[in-house]
Parts: sequence; structure tokens; C-alpha cells
Amino acid sequence: MQFDRRSLLRYTAAAGALGLAGPMAGTAFAAREKELNILCWEGYNSDEVLDPFRRSTGASVKAESGTSDPDMINKLRAGEVNVWDVINLNQPWARDQMWPEGLIKPLPQERFEPYFANMMEPYGKEYPWCYSPDGKELLGMVQRFGPFNFVVNTDKVSRATAEDEGFNLFNEASNAGRYGILTYDNWNIYHMCIGAGLDPFVEHSEAEIAAFEKVARAWFKGAKLLTDDLVAMNLALINGEIDFYLTGGTYTASPARLDGATNIRGITPKKGPLAGGKGGITWVEITSVVNNPNGSPLALDFLEYVQDPDVCHAVAFAEGTYNPVTQMANPKVFEKFDSDELDAIQWDSLEEELSNTVDYQINPDYEVMDKIYNAAKREA
Amino acid sequence: MADPILRLSQLSKRFGQFEAVKGIDLAIQEGEFFTIVGPSGSGKTTLIRMLAGLEEPSDGEILLRGERINETPANRRPTCMVFQSLALFPHRSVGQNIEFPLKMRGVPPVERMNRALDLLRLLRLPEDYYKKQVSQCSGGERQRIALARALAFDPEILFFDEPLSAIDYRLRKTLEKELKDLHRETGKTFVYITHSLEEAMVMSDRIGIMRLGELVQVGAPDEIYSRPANRFVSEFMGEVNVLEVKPNGAGLHCPVLGSTLQGPDGKADFESGYLVIRPEYLRFIAPGETAENTVTGVLYNEYALGSRIQYQVRVGEQVFLVEKLREQRYGGKLDDEVTIGWEARDSVLATE
Amino acid sequence: MTATTEIRATETDKPRHRRERRLHVSPGLLTALPVLIFLALAFAAPLLAVFGYSFMPEGTFDFTFPPTLENYLAVFSGSYYISFAKSLGLALVTVVLLMVICWPIAYGMAKLFGRWANLMTLAIIIPLFVSENIRLFGWVLFLIKGGVFLGGLKAWLGFDGESILYDVPAIVLGLVYVYLPFTLFPMVLGISMVSREVTEAAFDMGASRWQVFREVELPLATPGILIGGLLTFILSLGSLAESKILGGQAVIMIADEIETAFTFGQNWPLGSALSVILILFSGTLVLTLLSWVDLDRILGRGGND
Repeated sequence: MQFDRRSLLRYTAAAGALGLAGPMAGTAFAAREKELNILCWEGYNSDEVLDPFRRSTGASVKAESGTSDPDMINKLRAGEVNVWDVINLNQPWARDQMWPEGLIKPLPQERFEPYFANMMEPYGKEYPWCYSPDGKELLGMVQRFGPFNFVVNTDKVSRATAEDEGFNLFNEASNAGRYGILTYDNWNIYHMCIGAGLDPFVEHSEAEIAAFEKVARAWFKGAKLLTDDLVAMNLALINGEIDFYLTGGTYTASPARLDGATNIRGITPKKGPLAGGKGGITWVEITSVVNNPNGSPLALDFLEYVQDPDVCHAVAFAEGTYNPVTQMANPKVFEKFDSDELDAIQWDSLEEELSNTVDYQINPDYEVMDKIYNAAKREA
Repeated sequence: MADPILRLSQLSKRFGQFEAVKGIDLAIQEGEFFTIVGPSGSGKTTLIRMLAGLEEPSDGEILLRGERINETPANRRPTCMVFQSLALFPHRSVGQNIEFPLKMRGVPPVERMNRALDLLRLLRLPEDYYKKQVSQCSGGERQRIALARALAFDPEILFFDEPLSAIDYRLRKTLEKELKDLHRETGKTFVYITHSLEEAMVMSDRIGIMRLGELVQVGAPDEIYSRPANRFVSEFMGEVNVLEVKPNGAGLHCPVLGSTLQGPDGKADFESGYLVIRPEYLRFIAPGETAENTVTGVLYNEYALGSRIQYQVRVGEQVFLVEKLREQRYGGKLDDEVTIGWEARDSVLATE
Repeated sequence: MTATTEIRATETDKPRHRRERRLHVSPGLLTALPVLIFLALAFAAPLLAVFGYSFMPEGTFDFTFPPTLENYLAVFSGSYYISFAKSLGLALVTVVLLMVICWPIAYGMAKLFGRWANLMTLAIIIPLFVSENIRLFGWVLFLIKGGVFLGGLKAWLGFDGESILYDVPAIVLGLVYVYLPFTLFPMVLGISMVSREVTEAAFDMGASRWQVFREVELPLATPGILIGGLLTFILSLGSLAESKILGGQAVIMIADEIETAFTFGQNWPLGSALSVILILFSGTLVLTLLSWVDLDRILGRGGND
């Protein structure tokens, strides 16, 4: 996910936790047996996840959460491969960018492949985003995932209507002023493509890009509010400032649902212009080992550690946002979740929703569309 | 006597519980240079601020030419004050400072400038100072600029709130005289406050001595000098010899000297009071000479004060100060036993 | 008298020049050198990096390419002027509103409130220990439909109002709220530099309340007002959170554009070009204003000789 989960942290850690001290670059050349630096989406940096690992290894573990996938990759590009040992990003980046650029290194397959046996479909063995394009190298392990499309207040729009209408909900002129846009920009670009009847993950003709622009402009004009803060967005949804919002899913709806607002629900459209007539997108996080010349030997231990049932649950319900994990196919993991938690992550419809989605990939026209998107946002 | 320009009756000012000015009655005559003298905390600043309209009286009345002005704010009173800090406008030139009251009154620029140049001349400042920045002027020059500015206002009464207190001694002496000359040249009523009786003596037609919110004595400088109303006034004038005395049949018994002294003519109508003798009235008594009062002690030290020399003579616990002109200096040396004396008419009786 | 003055003036001037000349070899400079070098690196290096990137081709991440102006062309040919203009407008409105709001408060704190001024200072400073985002989010909870304000109105008076959230007035409210201390405190300092006797003198010489304000207090407090105003202006111009949290991004601020270019846009050179333009604009404005208003003269430290 390339969206801003940082602002969420600010509120949950309200009383003013003073930001995590960034790992020191100077330590890169020291002996690394007893330290580990993790660059991740938030959750992996929580004490619930890290403390048991710290206790069992006696190591000093520092973890920093990023604001977007590209942001974190840029840290490595800017020379911080010397600093980080583990990186956790969404599925397309490991295979399509970090591996070709030499930023990550392969995992020992005999040690990690057994874990795939206990994972939910389709994340079991041979999930292509975990491997190099030639299929020879294992590049990372999967854990958290979820469909990510849009969110409605089911008191105002029923689940059935929303799933049938899909992103056309935002195209209806009469719905102007009823919705917000969560500005996780690259996601919106994909969803605007879907709204324009396009598959975002293929090359687009000029006419298609023009169709995208039309949708982008119309949606920004019709949006009641824009924010990159999911708490603010959920609040507006609960309070009736808006009735639905764009770019969202279990990831953004789950905190509201766990708080009892079960009328807030992530929606996956039943059909759409994506490959196979699918209507939605799913993100999956892949955790890889950074190609650090002086890497910590604990990196692989950590990857193994997060497969533990208790840790799986801690990762799923770390802080701020709650998400299913692929390890839930394992009964030992599944029994850790109570019914409220399962309801928060929409377990009841998860399988059905997954079947209506495709994997998040890199949009070949992202740069062009990003310019159009920002101009549309600015000029709305 | 003509009607006074300013009359205060039972004028009081309280700040919460504290009474800074306590029921003052006073009449100031047109054209007079009246000075109020008092130590800090005597209420003199509060008094002049009430007169200028910067503080509203709690009680009593201020009458300007017979009209009550208690409630008239400062900007509507035909009076003007020169402040202790001078309160020149640092962001304006000398000319703009002087013209300020005229500008407030809507006087056209050319007329304002002519008036400002007149005032520069009157105060003996070069005309090219008109364009100078105030910050580039010396202390004495600023003093004159402040005066010029106040005069530009053309007030009926000019108030001064210790404007010379921050100036060094020599310049102050010059400015005191200049101020008195200016008073004569303009013929305006000046009301001046200061903590220095010496300064007041140089300039004033009349002086009022203030202590703890009350006027303890009002009179011409000579009167204050020769007949201080009480010990406070006499000590306020500078270094004086003060002896505690009790009247008895033969004269005034002085317990600290253990002798009886002769006081000036007139009754000592108190149980216990003070005999005050100024140091210049004391003299050394050579063998064979006499004086109405004499005491014998030891010459402890001497201090050169420019044209005069001051001697410290110790008589038991009592210290006497004797002052002589340099050419009349005492010929003896320190630790000599000396007799000093004074005539009864040169001493003054005072109460506490 | 004139002679003594001139002597005095040169006497006070001379030591100052002497001190300046000595500065070049002073042990003070030698000891300060490490700090100066550190500051130069810490402040100048990032700026130089931004400046350098702004001349690199679109979407690149290093300095190895021949310099190009394409990013600046992209900025000027695109619609970025909208964000610049809107940010500028909001910053101006904020400064003007804060001037009007802060003058009476600052005047009271400098001249009237006495001991209570300390309490007010604390009351204004203490919230600064809470992160700006949390304070702004507090405003959201207050203003949102069904929130503290509208919910309260509805519960107590049956009045159903529309919230001002997610539009320009909410952004202005946020900017005014967040930057109030930055205008207020320099202004308090500015006003306390105006001595009481100077205002009283003006009043005593026949000036009305308004004339005292215009002729004396305002010009003498100008350094504080100017510094507070500039600080507020520059900060508002580069602000982001108010529009994001309270305004629902009804206005895309220029800082938002820069952030987007650096993160989602993955276009460091474009973000750098936008930053350089913003820095140049702010810098020019500050320097122009500071040279235009002669601080020395206002402060009465005149010196044209």
C-alpha cells in the first residue's frame, strides 16, 4: 500500500509519542549480530510484534514505518541499503523494481517454502509476486492483505447496491457532494481507471487516457472532501458528512467496524473492466530482505518469527488498522481471532470479495495519469 | 493677589488601599515657577500626573482658572508635560518631533515648519537640526528638543516630571539656569517636580515640599532655606547638623551632649524637638574667642569640596559637620582637640 | 554644546567599528567555526540538493544527468499557478485577519493585563506542546456534522446547521488558529518596545486615541508586527495540514503539490523545482520587505552619517 498510515498513528498514539527515532546510519558498519533495522508499513513496528523477538534474541530492533511504497524504496535508492535489513511493501514492487535494481536479495527456499503450505489461496506455493520473473528466486514472504476499492455507509447505500453499481456510484451526477476521496493517490488513479471502464494495469491509448481524465475531473469536482487521513474520512462517513468514499477497503473500514460502526463496510464491485471481468483490486504485502552489504543475520530469523500464530495475530491486529493475514488458513492461527475481530475484517465476505479482484500491479501509464490526476485535483 | 491659574483643593489619589496623595490644597499663580520637591514615594509624580490629566483624582478638585478639570483627559487640557524620559519620538526627526502638537492640531506644514525653526532658535539649537534624527542628538540637545516640542504646544501651564534627573551634574547645572531663563523669556507658568531641593532652589519662585503624600511646607526658597518647617525639610536640603533637644528653663537641653544650648528667638513650643545648624554656620573657636554655643571634640577628618572644605568633628557620639571656604581653612591637624561653636540666631528649631 | 555632541557621537561609533574589524581574527570566530561549518552543512546542503535536483530530468533520482530546465517549464506551463495563487491568497488573508485579531490581544498583554499576561502566554503556549495535527483534528470533532458544535445545537435548540468543514472558511480558521502565536508574540514584543511615556506624551500634546495609534504606537511597534507578519505569511504559504485536515483539500496548497511530487508522483526534480520557486519567492519577499522598511530608523538607531 502506498498510502499514508502515518497520520493514523498520530491519533492512536495521541498523547504525543515522540516519533520513532530513525535508525542511525553510522551503525551500519558496526557488528550486526545483535541488531536489526526494519523498514515497513506500520504494524510491524509495534511493540506487540517486536518485543517478543527482542526478548528472545536480545537484539536491538529498530523499525520505521513509511508513508508510501515509493517513499520507502527511495530510501534504499538514496543509499540506505546500508541501513535496513528488512523491507515490507506491496506485491508489485519486489519483483518489478527492487529485484531488478538489486535492492533486495533472495531467501533460502528450503527454509521458507514450507510455510506456504499453511497459507490461504491463492497465496500458497508459487504465488508469482513472491518470485523473480524467471520463477527461480524467492524474493519475499506474504502476510497481510485485503481488497481495496471503496467504502460505504450501509445505512445510506446497501451492500448489494454498492457491489452491483461498483465505481459507477461515483459517476452518477446525482451523487456529487455525497462522497469523499481518500488521497492515497496511486490507488485513486487505479480506481478512476476502473470508473472510466479501463484496466489500469495495461498500456493505454490516448483516447483511454482522455476518458481517464474526464473521470478524474468529474470525481474531484463532485467530492465533498479530500483527505489522506482514514480516521478523518471514517469520522465524516459515520457523522453523515458523506455517504461513501473512494479508495478504501477492509484496511480503512476495519478500525471503525471494530469500534462498533459495522455500517461502515469495504465494498468490492462484482464486475468491472479488469482482467477476467473483475471489478476490484487486492493488495498483498511482501516482506523481503534488503541487499545490505553488512546485513544483520537476524533478518531471516525475523521473517520466520512472524509466521508464528501469536505473531500473525499481533500483525493482523497491530495498531490503527486491522487486516486479514494469509496464515489464517492455518487453524492454529485462525483460533486466535475472536468473532468481533473477524467481523471487523469482513471475514464473512472475504473469500467472495477476493474472487472478484485482481492483484495490485504497477500501472505502466502511472506518470502520465499522475500528472492529469494532480491537475484535476488542483483545478477542481 | 490675582486669582490663581491652578487651584487644588483636597486633591487625593488612592491606588487600592494605598493613598499616594492625601488631600492637597495648593494655589499656583499665573507665571509662577513652582517646584514640588520630595523623595521617591512621596507622591509627587502621582500629583503631577493628575495635574496633566494622565491620572484621575480619587477625591478633591483641580481648578484651572476656576474651572473644574478633573475629568478632562490630557489631550483636551491646555497644559503640556515634559517627561522624565523626555518621551521624544524615536522614529521622527527633530523637526517632526517639535511639530507634533501642531500637526495634531491641523496646522498647515509651512506654518508648522516656521514655528519649529523659531523654537530651535529660541532654544539655541542650529537650524539644520530640523532634519536630524533624534537618536543622533546628545542628552542636552534632546532636553531642548523636548522643551521646544512642549512649547510648540503653547500650553498655559508647562509641567516637568524630573526631566534633568538622568543628566550628569555639570550639564544639569547649566540646564537648570537655561530653564529659568526660558521661564523668564516665555512668561509661562512652570510646574516642576524634582527630588533635589538644590535644583528647586536654583529655579523656583516657590517650592512645595512633599512627604508621604502630603505637602509639608510651601514657601519661597529663602523661607524654606532659613526656616524649614521640620527636621525632614531641613535634612532634605542637604547635610545639616541636627541635635535632639528638650526645652528647659535655661534653654534647650541636649541629652546627647549633656549640656544646655541656646536656641534662636521665639518659643520652642514642643516637648522634644530638634535644633538644626547648617555646617557653614559652625566655626572653629580659637582660644580667647567665644560663641553663644560651644562644644569641644576631636577633629576626625576633612573633605575637600571644591571651593569649600568640610570637617568632621566628633563630640562623644555626636558627629558635627563644619564647612569653611578654602581660604579660611582650619590650620590644625587631624586628631587635634578642637572647640567649635555657633550663634543662637544661626540655628533653627524644628519638629519631627 | 554642539561640539560635545559630535565628540560623543563619534566616540560611540568608533568602538563598534573597531569591534567589527577585530572579528576577523577573534578567538570567538575560531571557537564558533565548528558550529558555523556544521550549520552551513546542515542548512545549506539540503537546499543545494534541492536546487541541484530541480535541474535534473523528470523522474530521476541522482545528479548524473546534464542539467535541464524541463521541470521549470512543466511548472510554468501547467496549472500550478492555481496552487501558488490560492496558497498566496490564503496566506495573505491569514496575515490580515491575524493582524486585526492580535493587535488588541497583544496590546492588552503588553500594556494592560499585568500579571494576567503571563497566564495568557502560558494558555497560548501550552497547546503548542500538542501536535498541530491533533489540535486540528480536535477542530474537526468540534465542527463536524453531529459533532460538539452542530450536535450540541441540534440537541439543545433543535437547530440543524451545515458544518463549515471541508471548505475554504475552515482552512482559514485553521490557519488563523495555528499561526496566532507566531503573529501575537512578536507583536507583543513590538508593542512593549513602545514606552508608556511616549504614548502619554503624544496624548498629552493633543493627539486623539486614533492619532496616538497611527502616529506613535503603530510605527514604533512595526518591527514586531513586521516580523510576526512575515513569519505567519511564510508559514501559511508553506502550510499543508489545515487544508488537508479541516479543508478536505478544497484548496490544494503548494506544499501539498511538493509533497505529492516527492512521494506519490515519484518526481523529485519536479518537487525540487516547485520548492526552489517557493523558496525564491518567499526569500525575495522577505528581503524586499525588510529592506523597504528601515528597521534601524524605526528603532531610533538612525544612521545616515
